[in-house]
Amino acid sequence: MKHTIRQVFHSGKFVFGFSIFAAMVLLVIIYPLIFPYEPLEIISQGTFFEPGIYVNVYDSIGSRPYTLNLDDAAINRIAGKLGDKERQDMKVWLVAYGVPENEIDIADTEQLLNLWGTHYDPKKNIAGLTNAQRNYYIRLDASLDGLLSTEGVIIAVKNTDTGDLEEKRIVAQSDYVNIGQVANVRVLPLGTDNFGRDVLTEMVKATAVSLQIGFVGGIIATSIGLTLGLLAGYIGGLVDDVIMFFTNLFTVIPSFVLLILISFSIGQERRGATTVAVVIGFTSWIWTARAVRAQVISLRNRDHVNLSKLSGHSIAYIILADILPYIASYVVMALILQISTAIIAEASLSILGLGPKTSQVPTLGLMMNWAMIYQAHILGKWWAYFPVVVTIALVAFSMNLMNTGLDQVFNPALRE
Amino acid sequence: MSNVMLEVRDITTKYITRFRENIYAVDHVSLKIDEGKSLGIAGESGCGKSTLALSLMGYYFPPLHYTCGEIIIDGRNTSGMDPDDVRKSILGTEISYIPQAAMNALNPTQKIINFIEDVVQAHDPYQTKKQIYELARGCFESLGLPAEVLQKYPVELSGGMKQRTVIATSVILLPKILIADEPSSALDVTSQKMVIKMLKHLMENSFIKSLIFITHELPLLYNVVDDIMVMYAGQIVEKGTAEEVVFDPLHPYAKGLMGSIIVPEEGLRACKLTAIPGVPPNLKNPPSGCRFAERCKYVRSACWASSVSLREAGRGRAYRCILSEQELRDTYQREGQQNA
Amino acid sequence: MKGYQRYFLNKLGWFLVTLVCAFVLNFTLPRLMPGDPVAAIVARMAQGMSDATGVQAIYEQYTELFGTNRPLIVQFFIYVRNVFRGDFGFSFSMYPRTVADVLKSAIVWTVALQLPAIIVGWLIGNTLGALAAYLKGGFDKILMPVSIFMSNFPAFGMAVILLVVFGGALEWLPTSGGYGYDMIPNFSWEFIWSVIVHYQLPFWSIVAVAIGGQAIGMRSMAIYELNADYVKYARFMGIKDRKIIGYVFRNAMLPQITGLALAIGTMVGGALFVEIVFSYPGLGFTLLNGVMGQDYPLISASTLIITLMVLSANFAIEILYGVIDPRIKAAQAD
Repeated sequence: MKHTIRQVFHSGKFVFGFSIFAAMVLLVIIYPLIFPYEPLEIISQGTFFEPGIYVNVYDSIGSRPYTLNLDDAAINRIAGKLGDKERQDMKVWLVAYGVPENEIDIADTEQLLNLWGTHYDPKKNIAGLTNAQRNYYIRLDASLDGLLSTEGVIIAVKNTDTGDLEEKRIVAQSDYVNIGQVANVRVLPLGTDNFGRDVLTEMVKATAVSLQIGFVGGIIATSIGLTLGLLAGYIGGLVDDVIMFFTNLFTVIPSFVLLILISFSIGQERRGATTVAVVIGFTSWIWTARAVRAQVISLRNRDHVNLSKLSGHSIAYIILADILPYIASYVVMALILQISTAIIAEASLSILGLGPKTSQVPTLGLMMNWAMIYQAHILGKWWAYFPVVVTIALVAFSMNLMNTGLDQVFNPALRE
Repeated sequence: MSNVMLEVRDITTKYITRFRENIYAVDHVSLKIDEGKSLGIAGESGCGKSTLALSLMGYYFPPLHYTCGEIIIDGRNTSGMDPDDVRKSILGTEISYIPQAAMNALNPTQKIINFIEDVVQAHDPYQTKKQIYELARGCFESLGLPAEVLQKYPVELSGGMKQRTVIATSVILLPKILIADEPSSALDVTSQKMVIKMLKHLMENSFIKSLIFITHELPLLYNVVDDIMVMYAGQIVEKGTAEEVVFDPLHPYAKGLMGSIIVPEEGLRACKLTAIPGVPPNLKNPPSGCRFAERCKYVRSACWASSVSLREAGRGRAYRCILSEQELRDTYQREGQQNA
Repeated sequence: MKGYQRYFLNKLGWFLVTLVCAFVLNFTLPRLMPGDPVAAIVARMAQGMSDATGVQAIYEQYTELFGTNRPLIVQFFIYVRNVFRGDFGFSFSMYPRTVADVLKSAIVWTVALQLPAIIVGWLIGNTLGALAAYLKGGFDKILMPVSIFMSNFPAFGMAVILLVVFGGALEWLPTSGGYGYDMIPNFSWEFIWSVIVHYQLPFWSIVAVAIGGQAIGMRSMAIYELNADYVKYARFMGIKDRKIIGYVFRNAMLPQITGLALAIGTMVGGALFVEIVFSYPGLGFTLLNGVMGQDYPLISASTLIITLMVLSANFAIEILYGVIDPRIKAAQAD
């Protein structure tokens, strides 16, 4: 046994897959401890916030300012508001207005702004300009206000008695705050999804749930498959025929069809995470049953089994003591495979909308489903679905890799 | 003085393991077989008999590598030959091999006749199918196999039938030397007899000129071959005629092997059946002295010192032991008297 | 041909039995769902109607139309009869379109995508696996990890990655639909080109996953066969390596064909999800809409068609195998 374990951990593939898997499990356990956020809490007003670090503006004003004199501060400020696209658009407007094209140099910010300031008139009727475009230029103009100034911004607070605005303080252009001193900062490495939930926290929880569903489903499927395989293989005869009939039947009828039908008929209301796991378990045992049966049949006529039979041991004893230990390696591999299959089955179901109830827990598939329904992929909001896909793929990949590694350990013929 | 069919000089081949270790499975083996004679090679599993056979065929595929030595078949030295030449003109036509568990040697999805066609056309592409069929039929029938077999798939034949079919296909090009590797080990006794008969028939009717019979079953060899060679741990430990090796073995290992055979005769109950304790040495690190020293009943300190070379005992007889012939015979006689 | 008869009849019988079971399952399972779908439709239709008797009348009319007021067994036989007539009833969610109408085009799109994709993937995968086993060395060392990686990827995972990379980041290919949004199906060059362009991403997603799985299997089989006794013996007898390779691949191919028969259910399943990811107008997408709209005739019919497709493919492959493997004919001939 020890030797087997040593061999197993020597197998490169197994170790690689196992590390990935273990890393995920650890992440899932540790993350909520460090960041005890509520996964389904809607934190943003508005959908699909981009990933980034969100700093509370109110608190940063209230935080202690530090003066930093950086050379590129002004350039960065302008570049943020006046990118290449904006410059191009301004040029287009100016040309349409009548300014000769060769007089406009979009690289010269000051000249461009001067021209713009001199000539821009929102009421001016430029030929061929749609309403939307006109509004765009108005917004652009507003955002340019004060771009070149070096004055600070005045923060004023309304006096509760008089109703007047009283100057509180001035924020200079060279004022910086230390982000660590700002009271409220929220890092959203994966932004928010369509509901306004923190994607990363949601995803960690979803991974945990998916893993759980996978385990439960996988264990159920393996148990069923193991039992049926043992019975069919060892007892043989009519029992075998009946079991094989059903197995063959469900081999051909795609199990996902069955899964869809059953999930659908259970109905949205009754579909909790556990229920889904059970359903998955009950529809995916086919392969395991077959594999176990094949092994048991080849073991059934071995000498030690015959010896046991002659000694008068009961069928149960023989199966447990003489046959089970020999197929242990297959069972382990089958278990890993079933868990991986179950996780993917759940994800597939959820994408279709047949997964666990949407209000209680997120699962990886559900997150995909939401992203699809709210068209994240068309809108280019990759953070809502791409990390989820990568996670699903990683989970499946790591487990399958572990399995391939195990296969090579137990089956020396497949070693390279 | 008849023709020397096969002469082997100091053939050495090795296996290279994954960890780049060299295992010399065949260590400086030399032998000679005359035309019309048969040689039996005996020894326990792992002693190098099958590897020797592969080496004789020139069949070197990783991890098996040729190290040194020469193989001369009917005057032609194959050791330096171009592999394609070897394939075309030696394999199957000069020397042929019947593998162990021959029933698995046939392609399960190919009819026998199609296989024979491929074999013949690999050597002589101009034979027509009809000619090949006639050749095959003639060969099979003269070996006692019905012509229908040719049209069958291996799955349709019984174990014994498959074995005999493989023997027949091996000699279809009338090779000069036939190597039979454990031809009867996987069969029941009746089939064994038929296979042996067939091999003898091949020799007697000049299908083949010489036969090498590899087995771990000694009782078989006495009735089948002219000379016997005993191998142990990659080396020859005894050589001689069948008569000599069976009734007057010199090397302690050969003696032990003979002693482990049950011969049904009077006074059997009183005789002790001796087994040779222990296991062959690991060839990754061969022992520096005699390789059999560990298990030898008559070992003495000198045996461990340096490696033992093969000693000639006249007229093709040889054995590998530091003791002289006389000393060995005396020791055996004393022992025999003690046991009686 | 006589030798095949028994084999053929065996497989045919099995096909029919499975077919019956598929029908039964497809019929009963959705109908076990709690709630009355007719009521849901009527509720939708009758929005704004305040007259209770009016609503009741409509309810009864639809119940009659959908036949939900008859006992289950009778419904079943009506169902079977209708299926053979091509009548799958009305779609609940897209009423008054019939299910058959919705499915007709979907089936064409799905078959057009999946059949070539699976076949191409199978062929390429097996060839690569065989080459890896034969050539060994560098080629093998690269192919193995890549295949393991690709085959362990769930189908839709591959689809999304391709979508993001080629459709999103590189913007080489369109990411959804079967053809351009602004086009109406016709036989013009423009339309056909649009179809071809939209076809690429889903097609290659399916192929990629299929390749991975097949390559590994074939490599194992080929390695196994290359070490078989008959290969050694053929070499001993002087047969050229090239011919021997031919033997080996033929023999290694056979279990692969069987493997395909067993795996076709899963492959089709995966391919359906690819369709969904790409909003490709095939059966997968139809199924999704059906589920979202609680439309059980549509769901029922879609799953039935999918099952039928898989069953037929399985049957076809098994017959093909029987023809190719000479041992089958031989074993039957006595």
